[in-house]
Amino acid sequence: MAEKTLLHIDHLKAGYATKAGFVRAVDDVSFSLRRGEFLGIAGESGCGKSTLAYAIMRLLRDNAAIESGRIVFDGTDIAGLDERAMNGYRWTKMAMVFQSAMNALNPVLSIEEQLVDAVLAHRDVSKKEARGTAAEMLELVDINADRLSSFPHQLSGGMRQRIMIAMALLLRPDLLIMDEPTTALDVVVQRSILQKIQELRTKLGFSVIFITHDLSLLVEISDSLAIMYAGKICEYGPSRELYAAPEHPYTKGLMSSFPTLTGPITRMGGIEGQAPGLINPPPGCRFTPRCSSAIPLCSKREPALVPTSAGRLCACRLCGGML
Amino acid sequence: MTTTILELRNVSKHFRLTGIRNIGKTVHAMDDINLTLRRGESLALVGESGSGKTTTASVIAGMYEKTSGDILLDGQPVRAFRNRAESLAYKKRVQMIFQDPFASLNPTHTIRAIMERPFLIHGLAASKTSLESKLSESLEQVGLSPAAEYLRRFPHELSGGQRQRVNIARTFAVDPEVILADEPTSMLDVSIRIGIMNMMLDLKEKKNVSYLYITHDLAGARYMSTRIAVMYAGMIMEIGPTEEVIANALHPYVKLLKASAPAPQEGERKDEVRAKGEIPSLVSPPSGCRFHTRCPYAKDVCSREVPAMRDVGNGHLVRCVLV
Amino acid sequence: MIKDFLRTLVQNRKSLTGLILLGTLIFVALAAPLLAPYPPKSDRIERTVLVEETMGDPEVISEEYPDKDVEKSVYSVTATKTWEKTVTYFPLRSRPAKEHLLGTNHAGNDLFSQLIMGTRISVFVGLATGLFVTLVSLTLALLAGYLGGVLDDIINFFTNVFLVIPGLPLMIVIGTYIPMHGVLPIILILAFTSWPYPTRVLRSQVLTLKNRDFIRASTMMGERTFFVIFREILPNMISIVMSEFFTVSLSAILAEATLEFIGVGNITVVSWGTILYWAQANGAILMGAWWWFLPPGLLIALTGTAFVLVNFGIDEISNPRLRKR
Repeated sequence: MAEKTLLHIDHLKAGYATKAGFVRAVDDVSFSLRRGEFLGIAGESGCGKSTLAYAIMRLLRDNAAIESGRIVFDGTDIAGLDERAMNGYRWTKMAMVFQSAMNALNPVLSIEEQLVDAVLAHRDVSKKEARGTAAEMLELVDINADRLSSFPHQLSGGMRQRIMIAMALLLRPDLLIMDEPTTALDVVVQRSILQKIQELRTKLGFSVIFITHDLSLLVEISDSLAIMYAGKICEYGPSRELYAAPEHPYTKGLMSSFPTLTGPITRMGGIEGQAPGLINPPPGCRFTPRCSSAIPLCSKREPALVPTSAGRLCACRLCGGML
Repeated sequence: MTTTILELRNVSKHFRLTGIRNIGKTVHAMDDINLTLRRGESLALVGESGSGKTTTASVIAGMYEKTSGDILLDGQPVRAFRNRAESLAYKKRVQMIFQDPFASLNPTHTIRAIMERPFLIHGLAASKTSLESKLSESLEQVGLSPAAEYLRRFPHELSGGQRQRVNIARTFAVDPEVILADEPTSMLDVSIRIGIMNMMLDLKEKKNVSYLYITHDLAGARYMSTRIAVMYAGMIMEIGPTEEVIANALHPYVKLLKASAPAPQEGERKDEVRAKGEIPSLVSPPSGCRFHTRCPYAKDVCSREVPAMRDVGNGHLVRCVLV
Repeated sequence: MIKDFLRTLVQNRKSLTGLILLGTLIFVALAAPLLAPYPPKSDRIERTVLVEETMGDPEVISEEYPDKDVEKSVYSVTATKTWEKTVTYFPLRSRPAKEHLLGTNHAGNDLFSQLIMGTRISVFVGLATGLFVTLVSLTLALLAGYLGGVLDDIINFFTNVFLVIPGLPLMIVIGTYIPMHGVLPIILILAFTSWPYPTRVLRSQVLTLKNRDFIRASTMMGERTFFVIFREILPNMISIVMSEFFTVSLSAILAEATLEFIGVGNITVVSWGTILYWAQANGAILMGAWWWFLPPGLLIALTGTAFVLVNFGIDEISNPRLRKR
């Protein structure tokens, strides 16, 4: 009987070393993901969301590394596994879709070669079988099998992104991590990709961690939402509820940064200032300089992420986080 | 002083492709574009990539010579510049804000060096003291205060939002009448965008400039402008008062755009958007109505004739046979 | 910004090594007359020694008695000095010894002194060619790249023609025909055959920069073409220009040595190349006289290495990965 919790991140800290110091892009992040759940992680540039995604996939390289914490995937802590053991997880149990398909697909190999490559790297099957799996997957993303022999530059942006998704789902992983997969695409294509993901989820039943800066997008498609700011999760909860009644000042600020298509046109407030750098962050709550509800205590003590109601977490004095 | 500051009449722009493979091929970037911009008005030009909206701005800016049609600035026809004086005179009245805040400032110049140019080129500062005060005034006007602190810095020392403010300050330095804003916030963080948009709205009121606000974001267009024109594959498909066009979209493409845009307030999406096909290549655009290949309501006549713009009242025009 | 450049160059270990080497070579080149034990073309030491000096006894020349009480005599003294001049001719083709650290060549010239004085020529020719070619190719690249059109076509045409012609044979042919007075002809020949390479590289860079938004913004603001080229584009090319300068200088030093070695250059000038020429002409390799041909060869290689190392540092500057964001 499969456990209901697929992924549990426990006090994860990760970052990268620079000449100026260690940038802790993921600073004590914890959350859980159930099987089949769609978790949206929203945050702006520099909040650490991409580092988090790479950390979960154990893809951090060079000067980037996991500092401490656990990544419990299906009962096993994969944070400390070596490369060989990780190969047994990547692509078969967890897969990733990157932001720019043009950068992630090899420009000199045909689509077929890349897909078949991915299958053969993880499964001991014949080339024919691998090709069959590839064709099957392409169909699921509405791409004609005769496109197998095309090269990435011959396809449109939307198609390339769908191929990325097909490639990620080839081996039917349990978890799909998507790092800003639609940011570079036009709004109509974006909508079709999102619909396709929902379709595939219904069919194949995988969980999704969807990372983006566009909060308005996430509300429609995700089950739960986590808002990241300066390396930390500042709010978490079921997406509709969170959208209807945000608790953290940053979330409230974000909500007032999206012009609406319907309803009255009023001046929106946005958020003053800019996100802090993550080298030697100041003490206390990191949102203090930009927060309209800040009091002197906020810059001294860091609020903890505490439950505020069923399934909701918030890290702010206003939610009782400064106990 | 006429109320219409800028007018485009049947303007087309075709680029001839070079190279042996491309003999006889042209890119139909703009075809039969008609629009008017009144003083102090903000007109949004909405379209996805490949719609021709950036080319339209470039042609108005004088970067490219139009292939056919007329452009009138304040009632006077705009022709190719015969000498530097004509070029400068035009550039003092029509300016452009570029999309990429990182790429539009010369990385080897200080902000002071960058901001001085408009004043010096157009002879707007009589003396050194006058130049100094104008420099301070321009930066303070866009919220970069104290000006001295920003003047001495290099672009890489500023954040994306600050850089875009410098861009905007530079544009306003010559006191133009028309500003072509080419997706000024699309490369900025979400929480910064609204600040820039609000600032642009304030400056518009204060200086009585007109904006041609180019964007792919319908909601942003609604926030920033009172009139909207939607472009597809080089032609304007619908134009009219923003609220009217968005609330009662008549052209199938505009309906598609509206349905694809993120709308978290709507709750569950009622009708699924099924968009087949993709944005056509401008080298050989579809015959007749350029949207007919993707239009769910396409008729025979749509593939044969380009529909004319029909007036449905209240300044709302649509290029579709169904109307 | 210049501070940033220098800091990057110094922080990179490879380029720091290169800079130190280069600095040493330039120092040697400048201080050569002070460092060389003997004049490079001299084959002897002349020593004149004062052997004897005799002072004769005073002799009375005249006596006068102007007054009974005053005595006056006038004396004269004769002195003779004898010098002895010793001319020591340097041994010919000798091995390294105390007096001649690297031995002597066929004409008895001290090789160590020649090596040091040769540094002047080699380093100077290299850097001068580098500077000249860089300036010429930069100008051509800026004009061709930015202005485009017919001018671009013409410059491109000539660039491509020269790129196809093999450099060394061309250099030899030209060098054989023109009279060699001093090193200027060599510099001109080297420049004439190496200008196309940096021109092509720099032109590509100009083309890339031309389409950047800040250039479009500049033209949109009404900036004159001249200023756009020199105020907006040029500062963004400094690191690649420096890189080309070092590359051209390196190839100039090698080419100069090659020409001298073949005997096409001016063989009366003392440079590393000519030392090798004479070594070759006198069968130094057969003789096993490593002290004759090895040191100049090593120095040429060392100078080349110094330039390459500095180029590593320059790569770091031009690579945007390291730019502060």
